[in-house]
Amino acid sequence: MESLGDTLWDIVICGTGLQQSLLALSLSRTGKKILHIDPNEYYGGPDAAFSLQEAEAWVDRHASISSGVFRSASITKPEGSAGLSFSRAYSLALTPQLIHARSKLLSQLVSSRAYKQVEFLAVGSFFTFKPSTDPEQKPTLARVPSTREDVAFETTLSLKAKRGLMKFLKFVLDFEGETQLAVWQPHANSPFNEFLQQEFKMDAELQKYIITLTLSLDGQMSTRDGLAIIYRHLTSMGFFGPGFAAVYPKWGGISEIAQVACRAGAVGGAVYMLGTGIKSQEISDNDIELQLTSGDKVKTKLLVQADDKTEGTFSISRLTAIVASPLKGLFESVVEGAPLPAVSVTAFPAGALQTEAGESYEYPVYVVAHSSDTGECPAGQSILYLSALTTPHSQDVLKKALESFLESVGDKQIPQRLFELHYEQGRGSVESKASGLIFTLPNVSPSLAFDDAALDPIKTAWGVVMGEDASNTEYMAFPDREHADEEMSDE
Amino acid sequence: MADSAGAPRPSSSVKLVLLGEAAVGKSSLVLRFVNNDFQENKEPTIGAAFLTQKCNLPQRTIKFEIWDTAGQERFASLAPMYYRNAQAALVVYDLTKPTSLIKAKHWVAELQRQASPGIVIALVGNKLDLTSDNAGTNGEGEAAGGDEDARKVSTEEAKTYAEEEGLLFFETSAKTGYNVTEVFTAIANAIPETSLKSARGPGAAGAAGRSEEQRVNLNGPRDPNAKEGCAC
Repeated sequence: MESLGDTLWDIVICGTGLQQSLLALSLSRTGKKILHIDPNEYYGGPDAAFSLQEAEAWVDRHASISSGVFRSASITKPEGSAGLSFSRAYSLALTPQLIHARSKLLSQLVSSRAYKQVEFLAVGSFFTFKPSTDPEQKPTLARVPSTREDVAFETTLSLKAKRGLMKFLKFVLDFEGETQLAVWQPHANSPFNEFLQQEFKMDAELQKYIITLTLSLDGQMSTRDGLAIIYRHLTSMGFFGPGFAAVYPKWGGISEIAQVACRAGAVGGAVYMLGTGIKSQEISDNDIELQLTSGDKVKTKLLVQADDKTEGTFSISRLTAIVASPLKGLFESVVEGAPLPAVSVTAFPAGALQTEAGESYEYPVYVVAHSSDTGECPAGQSILYLSALTTPHSQDVLKKALESFLESVGDKQIPQRLFELHYEQGRGSVESKASGLIFTLPNVSPSLAFDDAALDPIKTAWGVVMGEDASNTEYMAFPDREHADEEMSDE
Repeated sequence: MADSAGAPRPSSSVKLVLLGEAAVGKSSLVLRFVNNDFQENKEPTIGAAFLTQKCNLPQRTIKFEIWDTAGQERFASLAPMYYRNAQAALVVYDLTKPTSLIKAKHWVAELQRQASPGIVIALVGNKLDLTSDNAGTNGEGEAAGGDEDARKVSTEEAKTYAEEEGLLFFETSAKTGYNVTEVFTAIANAIPETSLKSARGPGAAGAAGRSEEQRVNLNGPRDPNAKEGCAC
């Protein structure tokens, strides 16, 4: 077999995060010579999913790091190792994201035929956390009505509130219409919740419902963004079947898509090397010579890599907990004919939680619960992914949120926590950079729902590789590869 | 529960993964099985995500979904999704190349680490046509030259190892087709009835039957009660 150095590569892709992997998928039928490497021993980069052992190894590398996307990582096991299954029975997503049914990511996976190797599960109900006013009573979760039918059947809202909510949902469905534009454009850049209050007379409770649906971590979004996100949610509802607006890939989310996309790259002839990074590079007029950490020296016409530096101070704190309960109540289908959901989302509205010092935490906290049907934990357990904007108190607030959440969902007993992974995730540049023969993709967005903006730089990079051919090639559209005839039989 | 009672000959999908050193003939074995074809000097694998082939047993039909490594084994870069839910594996070595058996043992260990506990593994020594005990060959003018026996791995050695590890064991020739169908039939027979019930899902999980009602079909809205979960 020829050695890597004998080939002049059309492109070397470094990193197997979602973006680089989708790029490999997009180029998989072009006949380009592609070398795809990753300094990590696993696929997915910041989108990876880990077994317990892998999570522990990852924490060891990120425990005392103060720069880079991930930092301040630690693991606690409240019960020792009791109750935990074997390491590979778990698949903990580093950056779990739900994917709205209308996301272009899904339509690209369909048109590129890659979707066939991914199992998609429904994201079910959205809840808000309601603290108990009576110390004898436990806190509760209130289901967020997110369609007009939901609102109609909702029993806890006043008639007036229902009418306001109905009016708003109808408004959003046509928010780019002329009459609607006239209403919201004057508020476009002002806070979304003020708009809800002024134009729709929503009280604080209703505003919380709407803000929950946006999954905004700082709760401070503009009216323009807020409307677009609610629109995405509403138009995604029912798109792939009744009762759900978003999906989640089984076995670890985005990580699974990255693996499937890389496999498509390999099937198309790309060469894959994990555990191999770039030691040094030498740029000449027409190519770059890369010294790889494996000892190989390769030449390529283009290098595509991801930005691993963070910009600004924006950061989110995460807490991933394995709990010893199936938490069945979170994963019920509420609409006839709906697939059984494997994911649910609960928001602690801004101000619902307090810091150790007794001050209220001014941002929302989200708990995204995954049932064992996601394949991320064994039956009888669940995974809770908590996230909140980083502040000096956010890790404490997350712990409190976890306790309160478990109190609200537990029946007689509060479910046991078996394993907790804590870390912080920063945000990098949002723009791609092309300089000469090097194309740098932006950093992964730490948002809770996949943002289609992440797809644009991939297409740009694809265009750079394709050059003149880009204009007569359809992006991410391939015929089926499996044409094996099933009629033949071996007997 | 008893979901397939009454059907004349139930059909189940089985994911089978291929493993083994480069150039031992993994793809050739599959091409022989699927298309009854053999290509001399075949290029390293490009172009097939997986191939399917049915295997009819007296009691049931097994539809193999055969996954090729697509070269990702070359630098030990197979993804977890490759092993996921695999119910069978074909670990291939070249019986004219001792190092390829060592590599095969490595892959068996990897399968025991990464794959579902109940996976059926077949160890296959390929290129029997290059040996002097080449049953069923009609190969003339071999590249190796004349009647020379190129065998470097004895049947005994590989067989003993296979028995120790509880693997099925065969020596084959993808070139002549010798023993190829037999490998797949033996695998089909060895797959426990219980692991066929819900086709997918990690061996032990008690969630059998649920996975179909949950799976979201991205390819246009369809009857949600449609039973067939297979993507082909």
